[in-house]
Amino acid sequence: MALDIAFYLILAAILVSAFAAIHVRGHLNAVIILSVFSVLTTVKFTFLQAVDVAMAEAVIGAGLMTALFVTAISKTRKRTWRAR
Amino acid sequence: MESPVIRVFLTRLTAGFLCLLLSLGFVVLLLDAGRHRAQTIPTQMEEPYTARSVAETGSINVVTAILMDYRAFDTLGEATVIFASVAVAAAILGKPGSPSNRTMGLLSRRQLSALLPLFFIFPLFVIFHGHLSPGGGFQGGVSLAVLVILIHVAFGDRFGEEVIPHRILALSEYGAAIGLVGIGFVGIFQGSAYLANVAAGFPRGTAGTLASGGVIPLLNLLVGMKVAAGLSSIYVHLAGHEAENVPEKRR
Repeated sequence: MALDIAFYLILAAILVSAFAAIHVRGHLNAVIILSVFSVLTTVKFTFLQAVDVAMAEAVIGAGLMTALFVTAISKTRKRTWRAR
Repeated sequence: MESPVIRVFLTRLTAGFLCLLLSLGFVVLLLDAGRHRAQTIPTQMEEPYTARSVAETGSINVVTAILMDYRAFDTLGEATVIFASVAVAAAILGKPGSPSNRTMGLLSRRQLSALLPLFFIFPLFVIFHGHLSPGGGFQGGVSLAVLVILIHVAFGDRFGEEVIPHRILALSEYGAAIGLVGIGFVGIFQGSAYLANVAAGFPRGTAGTLASGGVIPLLNLLVGMKVAAGLSSIYVHLAGHEAENVPEKRR
């Protein structure tokens, strides 16, 4: 049952990280927390034995989306780069 | 006659209630999936695919068999979506100009120049073994795009433009798109459906070996090429775009 508890902990962490990504201050922080959300979702998909989807989620959510969002933020508002 | 304050409050209340309802439904769905994950979930479509896909397509990865054989037309649609997004990004952001020369530190660059060839093993493995192991053209292609972005970020946009010119990215995307559509017509010329695999006369091969699955490895390669070139050219357009209406500051 230890695996079950770990699975529910991951589900709770997904919820917490999703709320945090919306409510955190600063665009850059939100993007990083969104990539944490993607990594947790990857773990969840692996638990559910959907390895193909897990791979796509890891590569797109944690890799590509973070890179594109950070680039877009750095192109639009330079002030958010500084720590707030 | 209600005041604007009350109207705003009611709107927020309704929106909050709807969000709560949606998230509750999602939580119930997730808990249900968690409860059922050890057992097999009987569905109508599961049995035919898992029972027949190896014999019909020669691919032991059922997900790839569905994506590249039974539902290959949908995969073509996904590739078209990426093509459209690249076209829109190029139209809005314009021609990439003024590549910045900001690079990572010396230590990161030396380390990456030793490790980068090893990094390329994973996406190529995922693409070429798409019909044998989890993964496929889409996942491997996105990994390749992320590696191209890594080269741009680590060694500067000018070096990235020298190593992988934007023209080559565009050419490989067009080539892969034309190849995907062209392979589909082979099925029609052979008297079968569009994008047909074994029915169009492609050799099935021995299931489990690298050269098996008929046209599936070729489709994986083309989709991987197309996704990698498309997504990395989105990044190139974004990185080469000059920021507008921003007071120039030294960082």
